[in-house]
Amino acid sequence: MRKLDIRLLRLLRNSKGQFISIAMVVTLGLCMYVSFSMTAMNLKNTVDYYYELTNFGDIFAQVVKIPESALDKVKEIDGIEVVQGRVSFDVPLKVEDDKEKVRVRIVSLPDQEKRINDLYMLEGKILEGQPKKVVVLEQFAKARNITVGDKIAAYINGRVVQLDVSGIVASSEYVYLMENEQALLPAPEKFGVVFVSEEFAQMTFGYQDSYNELLIQIKDQEKMDEVVKKLEERLDRYGVKRIIEGKDQLSNRMLTEEVKQLDNMSKTIPLLFLSVAAIIIYIMLTRIVKNDRIYIGVLKAIGYGNYEILSHYVKFSLVIGITGAMIGNGVGIMLSGLLAQVYVMYYNLPLLRSQIYYGYMVNAILLTCIFCIFAGLMGARPVLGIMPADSMRPEAPKTGGRILLERIPWFWKHVSFSWKMVIRNIARSKKRFVFLVLGIALTYGITVVPIFQGGAMVNMFTLHYGEFQKMDYSIDFNKPMNRKAMIEVKQLADIRYIEPKLEYPFELRTGWRKKVVSIVGVPRDTQFYDFTNKNQGSIRLPEKGIFLTAGLAKVLNVQEGDLITIKNFIPGKDDVKVEVKGIVEQYIGVNAYMNIVEMENTLTEKGMITGVNIRSKDRVQEKVKDIKHVAVVQSVDDMKNSFLQFLDAAKYSTGVMMIFGGILGFAIVYNSTIISIAERSMEFSSLRVLGFEKKNIYQMITKENMLMTVVAIILGIPIGYGMCNGIAQAFNTDIFSIPVFLTPDVFITAAIATIGFVFIAQLATWKKIYGLNFIEALKNRVS
Amino acid sequence: MEKKILMGVQNVSKTYQMGEVKVHALKDASFELYEGEFVVILGPSGSGKSTLLNILGGMDSPSEGRVFIHEEEITDYNDKQLTVYRRDHVGFVFQFYNLMANLTAKENVELATEICKNALNIDEIMDDVGLGDRKDHFPSQMSGGEQQRVAIARAVAKNPVLLLCDEPTGALDFQTGIMILSLLHKINRQFNKTVVIITHNTPIGEMADRVIKMRSGKIVEMKENVNPMPPERIEW
Ligand SMILES: Nc1ncnc2c1ncn2[C@@H]1O[C@H](COP(=O)(O)OP(=O)(O)OP(=O)(O)O)[C@@H](O)[C@H]1O
Ligand SMILES: [Mg+2]
Repeated sequence: MRKLDIRLLRLLRNSKGQFISIAMVVTLGLCMYVSFSMTAMNLKNTVDYYYELTNFGDIFAQVVKIPESALDKVKEIDGIEVVQGRVSFDVPLKVEDDKEKVRVRIVSLPDQEKRINDLYMLEGKILEGQPKKVVVLEQFAKARNITVGDKIAAYINGRVVQLDVSGIVASSEYVYLMENEQALLPAPEKFGVVFVSEEFAQMTFGYQDSYNELLIQIKDQEKMDEVVKKLEERLDRYGVKRIIEGKDQLSNRMLTEEVKQLDNMSKTIPLLFLSVAAIIIYIMLTRIVKNDRIYIGVLKAIGYGNYEILSHYVKFSLVIGITGAMIGNGVGIMLSGLLAQVYVMYYNLPLLRSQIYYGYMVNAILLTCIFCIFAGLMGARPVLGIMPADSMRPEAPKTGGRILLERIPWFWKHVSFSWKMVIRNIARSKKRFVFLVLGIALTYGITVVPIFQGGAMVNMFTLHYGEFQKMDYSIDFNKPMNRKAMIEVKQLADIRYIEPKLEYPFELRTGWRKKVVSIVGVPRDTQFYDFTNKNQGSIRLPEKGIFLTAGLAKVLNVQEGDLITIKNFIPGKDDVKVEVKGIVEQYIGVNAYMNIVEMENTLTEKGMITGVNIRSKDRVQEKVKDIKHVAVVQSVDDMKNSFLQFLDAAKYSTGVMMIFGGILGFAIVYNSTIISIAERSMEFSSLRVLGFEKKNIYQMITKENMLMTVVAIILGIPIGYGMCNGIAQAFNTDIFSIPVFLTPDVFITAAIATIGFVFIAQLATWKKIYGLNFIEALKNRVS
Repeated sequence: MEKKILMGVQNVSKTYQMGEVKVHALKDASFELYEGEFVVILGPSGSGKSTLLNILGGMDSPSEGRVFIHEEEITDYNDKQLTVYRRDHVGFVFQFYNLMANLTAKENVELATEICKNALNIDEIMDDVGLGDRKDHFPSQMSGGEQQRVAIARAVAKNPVLLLCDEPTGALDFQTGIMILSLLHKINRQFNKTVVIITHNTPIGEMADRVIKMRSGKIVEMKENVNPMPPERIEW
């Protein structure tokens, strides 16, 4: 081996702590890069494969009723490959506990060989042509403990219908099982899907020879828009309610979002870690090169060129980086296997297609090399300026002198001697100071994020259900009712206040942008919705016109005062144009709101409601369940509780993030303290000679770090705020928008954590200071 | 025996610009170095000795004047060529040895030899400098004299035509200093290398074939010794 390389290895061995801590930062960064990227890729492939296997449809259309014979007409539309009809209805399930409202979607399966959205058999057998035999969606079966051979009962048109469970299946359409867009989280024990024979469904729901849903596959994905448009026209007379493109299909959209988020994370967080590692390496090398000045001169005098010497130091950086990258790759692969398993479990994917993508490992190493070479070159750049003759010259004395603060006498007078030294030291090594402060500030920022995230979810819910929606219960009917239905509800329970609600899906359009959302009609003087605008605070529903939630306004790219088109799916109703009268904040869900009277007049029918909102301390759920046509009674408390369970899972990721932040902080503080000690061994030795004890020196460094930590935390507050904002932006979906409310306790918690990290790193340097041979340091200066 | 010219120095000056002030470190120096010659440069501190040595060794370039080795002008060289010149033709010995702290004695020597073409056998050299049994020791485990011997081995093992030593005994006691000088003398005679030594100690001049005296950047005297004294007999 080249002697310079031997020197390198010994150099690394002598700075094990630094080596390990920096390599660890690289390891973490790349581990995340490799595992997130690979999991995203595997997840995407798994879903794609699952879709392919089960013939996932391209378009899903919901109509009021379409006869079987009309399907051929639909198929004639240019671009359509296959059309399948099915009958699908949501009905209540009969369960032991009367209070519990469970709903199932009964979906018919065509007697066909190659079904669109085919099922993935897990257990038992499919139907066998016998009516009343059903197969149940796995998540639901699991959540409710339903097994093959069980009987379940559903209320269909007022009758209890017994169904025999003949199999358990998975469905690509319900990977992410949610009843509708308004549902926020999957609640598999509250909503499920069962599949029945077409014959049975048609008979039971009164759909002889007809359907209410179409599944369509098209020939060319490029022509999607065209096909949808023609389909809309063709289906108009069958009362088309919604046409959903595959990419907008609820479960698919949630999956796509998840993969996208994972992919985004894989691209940002690792870069942050690599940057920190690169900066530490840079600082470390600057110092090493400075210490090595004479050696570098000697090497040049002996006949080594700039290239050889530079590469000596770049290798130093590379060895650290590549060691970290290798371990990161290894751990990343293991972790990606684990992560994929977790995702498959979480999403109830019945299969997993996973493979190792070596490309990511190569990328990881390349990326590390780029960062390390850059950091190495920047750090070792002073090599170029060192002359061979420098080998003969003793070190240039450091420039001393008064610092700025000393010119402020009243301040300087009140500072104790040891603090004076501390402040002078900081002022005289500005680069290191800046690095350390930025490093700790970054650590602080990274620590703020998970703490914020944990709280943000809770915030989101309390804001949505406490501040925005103020009702105790919300009741949905299973079909539009007359206003008189309100009276019936009122009579059955002790209700303090009741308001009608009219909620209906429409397609909103501006130009080529469109989105299907529920428009909610409520009285102008509603007591249950507190509409707030970002600038004006609370605002009142207008007589005419519409409110859009901020997310929706963004999707449609509209502002207050713009006109939008509401496309009406209700047969016989025309599309209307309305003015956007306000953009309102809503953290969960995407909606539009209108004055109920205006909505009845222009969009639906007079006197029509689809539900009511209630304020009551009564046990409403129990009391109204017997009212005919009540589909869902939602209690806000229940919603909160189900959400809190979900949050438990999120705590793990919060913890992991904190640990990552901690490692980063440790690496930064540890390394800069070690560097600082090495740079100042001479100064410390002189202090020792003057009678300072090691303890005093340690205290001095501790004070320096303390001061810098305080400055860093102050600086870290905006950094943390910015990061939280970024995270919130990145995680905002159609359904959630995370509110960025950072309360003081978030900052205080993060500050305590950061001080903890600094403290640990400080402890780790204790040995170095106590082990420092001061006499040696003085002697070394001569040679 | 006819003397062959190894290096030529013609009207060489070196000026350092220190802010407003110009420091004339070397003024109009001209002389020749012969093959196999043992030269001692004497002069007070700041007289320009190191400056001259650095220019000879291609570590620094003069502000004016020309320097030749054999027929080649090194003052024309670019950085790369100077590096090659130092690598293949010059061996340096420094006052403070300047060994790599985390390389053993032998490795320190190899550090120099592994980049040049005509390196000598390292083990033999280590024996020659009397450190055959200390090869695997680190500099911190050796005395100053031993370290300086390693430094000499490092310089000699490259098999250079020119050995430049800037106060090689400066940090050593008398006894050890004499030993180092004998070693350099031996190398000069045995391998026929041109050796240039800088020193403050006038008596050392007595072992030289030629003494160059400097003052305030000027060569003030050049004296040949017909009968150089063996280093063992020098006293100061
Ligand atoms: N890099 C430099 N920049 C500015 N001035 C320099 C530089 N190197 C040397 N000098 C100046 O040039 C003059 C000659 O220096 P040189 O090192 O050659 O003296 P020297 O004879 O070797 O002295 P010493 O015996 O103390 O080593 C001195 O005045 C010195 O201050
Ligand atoms: Mg000198």
